[in-house]
This record gives sequence, structure tokens and C-alpha cells, in this order.
Amino acid sequence: MFSYVFMKILEMRPRSYDQQMDKISRGRVRAAKEAVAGEVPKGSHVLEIGCGTGELAGLMIQRDATVEGFDLSPSMIQTAKERIETENLSDKFSVSQMGVDGMDRFRDEQFDAIVSTLVFSELSDDERRFALKQAKRILKPGGIIIIADEVVPKTFFRKILHTVIRLPMLAVTYLVSSSSTRPIPDLSGELARAGFSIQKEIRSHGDSFAMTVGIKEKGEK
Amino acid sequence: MSFLKTLWGLLFRLFPCPTKVGLRPIGNPGPDSPVLVTCNFDLTVKRLSRLLQGQDLWLLVGESKGVNVWCAAGGEEFNTHSVVSVVKTSGIADKVSHRTLILPPLGAPGVKKSEVEKQTGWKVKWGPVWAEDIPRYLADNCKRDEPMKRVTYNLKERLDTGLSCLFPFYLFFALVFFLFFSTQLTTYLVVGALSFFAFMSLVPWLPGERGITKALFVDALLLAILLTLEFITDSDANPFRAQLVIAMIMIPVYGLELGGLASTMPSDLDPFLARFGVKAIGNVEFAGTTRTELLNRFKILTYDREKCIGCRSCSEICPQGVWGIDEEKRAMFVNKDACTACVGCITQCPSAAITAKKPS
Ligand SMILES: C[S@@+](CC[C@H](N)C(=O)[O-])C[C@H]1O[C@@H](n2cnc3c(N)ncnc32)[C@H](O)[C@@H]1O
Repeated sequence: MFSYVFMKILEMRPRSYDQQMDKISRGRVRAAKEAVAGEVPKGSHVLEIGCGTGELAGLMIQRDATVEGFDLSPSMIQTAKERIETENLSDKFSVSQMGVDGMDRFRDEQFDAIVSTLVFSELSDDERRFALKQAKRILKPGGIIIIADEVVPKTFFRKILHTVIRLPMLAVTYLVSSSSTRPIPDLSGELARAGFSIQKEIRSHGDSFAMTVGIKEKGEK
Repeated sequence: MSFLKTLWGLLFRLFPCPTKVGLRPIGNPGPDSPVLVTCNFDLTVKRLSRLLQGQDLWLLVGESKGVNVWCAAGGEEFNTHSVVSVVKTSGIADKVSHRTLILPPLGAPGVKKSEVEKQTGWKVKWGPVWAEDIPRYLADNCKRDEPMKRVTYNLKERLDTGLSCLFPFYLFFALVFFLFFSTQLTTYLVVGALSFFAFMSLVPWLPGERGITKALFVDALLLAILLTLEFITDSDANPFRAQLVIAMIMIPVYGLELGGLASTMPSDLDPFLARFGVKAIGNVEFAGTTRTELLNRFKILTYDREKCIGCRSCSEICPQGVWGIDEEKRAMFVNKDACTACVGCITQCPSAAITAKKPS
């Protein structure tokens, strides 16, 4: 899934983002989202961090979830609102435009699950730490957090391979959008340090993509 | 590696060069130490760290996608969210007992002061335009004198911004000479560089409002010299022919870019590209934003005195001294022609008294 590097370019056009993303990843992004939605218990009240156009939210709603999403990008939120309108989701899906720094506005123990796909690789170290700390606070005891994103492979050889293949794509992305994403060095470590118990971590695509599921144990604050 | 990054940042400022976002202690800061905010352009952070040696303070490096404060604030990479996010997520609130942020005033086009205050609960003060003045500003209880508020664009600043933005052009022509006129390559390298220094030194005194007008004026002079020399020397004996021709090519190249890079002059290139439908190259925009509409003269800066609440945001923030205050303590234009369309006043004005409108 090296093609994630190009994501930043696609984000510049929210309306075609989902289709294009699916094309360059050859359907794997969609599959990853389906896997995430599959981890969410039926009927959950879910928070989605960086919901983008709301594709994942749609999948979760099919499994009886109600979703609150937020995203930093006004145009992404606009596209998500259009989805809510055309697919009649207004009582299941609500969105607001803000960054993860705004997560302190949510009440304690409000959500059954928190999900986020391909967003953490765009955040600063501080933002990730802050988001996970807030996530811990606003999840109900026993609630789960699922994060799927680009990660740094574990073995030395894979790391090198990953860097080499990624480099030319990085250059193109840099030239077009003058930004890039950064694979997360230690996703499950960050979750553990925020106080979650790691339930599972599934790595794929040459060890460069991970879906990590953490749980807020009962009795934890 | 770090040295290479500095060099890259210096010579290729047109290309972003990011460094890590977050909190950086300078010296040995404590709970009472001031908190300064800057962008995540590698060169800016390095320069600041060097200039602030001997101070004890907290530096918050906000996301600007690796672009310097002024360009990033104009291009919206350095915005209210960049500041709010780093204030809230860096944990600075646990490190200091006060709640005052010092922001770079050249960030005013993108960072809305009142909005940062609302979203963080911190009070915002504008610092001095130039980092060199920060120690004096801090020693003087965060008071700014007039020079600290203004961009004068003196020789040192001209050479600094000029070097970083024009070096890629210089290199490009070096390549052209290398490939097609290799016998003249050395001459080019010397004359191209000399023309740069000469032109940048003379800019303020050359006639014309725009960089290209100034350059064409110089070209006319050079042409006169060239023709005179051709006339008084025997055919083919003019010893300075190559030098003069090279200078006459390079000076308009520098002049054309001058407006865009100086940010104190309207750009010539932008409206030209905009007219041909090129709205942006990479993150450099030519059309469609308030700033470019003003620069391209598609819109003009307008002021509605009825709406002014007398907060002085505009006169505090304008790097060119466009705004003053009248007897009734409301804003007024004092030097409208000096406006360089940075849009700082428009962003900061809390009552939408200042806007960009199509000329009627
Ligand atoms: C690659 S997109 C992924 C969108 C969606 N989650 C998906 O998987 O299709 C990354 C999203 O993260 C958002 N984002 C970036 N920084 C953010 C921040 N600090 N807070 C919230 N969202 C952010 C962007 O606006 C963008 O919509």
C-alpha cells in the first residue's frame, strides 16, 4: 500500500477522493475500512476521527451504528454533508469541522467505540498523543479504539525496502501538494502508553499497514 | 545532514522544508518564561534558536508545511488551527503559569488573533517583525516601537529573500549555458551573480512601481552602453558584449520575480499567469485567493468607517504602515499606496470593516 503517499494529492479533491483512493490502492482502502467496520460492535455509538467524506461511517451505519465524525478540512466536511443529504443519514451520522485538538469538548465516557483510518499518519506526535489521551477519557469502560494506518515496518530489511519504494512517490506528492504523510513508527506502543490494552494488531502489505484494536479496560479512568 | 538542510532552506525557499512541530525549550525556561510561536520551516527554527541564544523561553513550532511564516500565512498553510493545535496538544499549559502567547506579526494574514484567543483561552500579543529584535522586545516588557512593526525591506533583507527565491533561476540559466553556450559559462556565472547583487542593491532607487519596470529601465541603460561601445569600437572588438547581453537577460528575470518574492511590490508574473488560467504551481497560488485578487488588481482594499470599532488591529498589524487612527479613534488610510496585499488587516479586523471588493 505504498500508494498511500499519493493520498495527500487526492485529498485536495474531496469529491472524487474515495473513488480515486480506491483506484490507486486497488480496492484495499475499501477493504481496510470494511475490516474496521467489522470490529465495531453492532449498535455502537461511534466517534470517527478525521471522517473525510464519511465512507467508513456509511459502512458502520449499515451495522446499526450511530456515528459522530469530525474532520479538519472544510471541503471534506462539505462532501460528508452532501453524503448525509443524499443518503438520508441525518439521524445516524453527524459531522463537525474541527481538528483533534478540539476533542476536549466531548463529555467523559460518551462513546462505545472510536475509529480512525489514514488520519494518524497526518498528525504531529503531540496531536497523536493528545488524541489518544482524549480518546481514553471519552470512551466508555470496555469501549474499543480501532486505528488503521500506514506504519513503519518492523524488520530492518522491510524498513529499507519500504523507504526505497516510497521515495519517488514521496517526491511527486511533495511537488504537487507540498506535504506528505509519515508512517507511524510505533502505533500499538502509542496506544499502550495512552492506557489501552492492545487486543490485536493485524499487519499487511509488506508490514507497512496496520489495523490496531485497543480496549479501555473496565475500571480504568 | 543538518547543514545540507540549512543550505537547501537558504537557496530553495520556494520549496518547503519542514521540521518537527511541537514545543522546544530555548535555554532554561521556567513557569514565568515567555512563550513564542513560530512556523515549522527548518531554516526559521534554526535561525531563531541561534538568535535567541542566551534567552530562556518556550518556542512553540506550529504546522506551516515547512514554509516560512510570511509566505505560509499568505498561502494559508500557517493558520489559526496551526497555532491552536500546537498550544493545546503540546502541553505548554502545564509548563507555564501565565497565559500569554507571542505571535509573529507576519503571520497575521493567516492567524486570526481573536479566534486563537477564543479557542485557547490564551491572550495573544504580536511580537516584532524581525527575530533580531526579540531579545530587545522581551527586555522591554513586550513593547514594540514602530520599526518593530514594519517591513522596510532593506539591503540585507533584499539579499536574503532574493537569494533564496532567485537562486533556482540562476541555476536554471547556468544549466542552459552549460548545455548550449558552454564557452560563456564562467562569464555567465560571474555576470549573473554580479547583476543580482547590483540590481538588488539599486532596486529602491530605480524608477517604476513594479520589478519588471525597474529591470527594463536598467536594460535600457545597458542597451545604450552596449550600442555606444559597438559604435566606438571596431566591429567584433567590443570587449564587454557578452557581459552586457547576459546582464540584459538576467536582470529582467530577477525583476520579474521581484514582486512576488519581496511581498512589498505587486508581482508581475502572477497576473500574467492568472490570465492564462494557471491558478497555482504546487502550493504557490496566482489567483483565486483574496491576496492574489488584490495583487492582480482584480479587487481593491476597501474600508467601511461605519463598521470600525476602533480596536486598532489594522494599524498594529500592517507591516507597511497603511493604517492610522483618526481623531475619533477609528481607522483611516494614511498610506494606501504602500499596501502590498498581505491581507493581514482583513484577517484581523473583527467587524469586517476592511474587505477586498471589486472596483465599481
Ligand atoms: C487520507 S484522509 C482519510 C479520510 C478518511 N478517514 C478515509 O479513510 O477515507 C485524512 C483526513 O484527515 C484529516 N485530518 C488531517 N489532520 C487532521 C487533524 N489535525 N484533525 C482532524 N482531521 C485531520 C484530513 O482533513 C483528511 O480528511
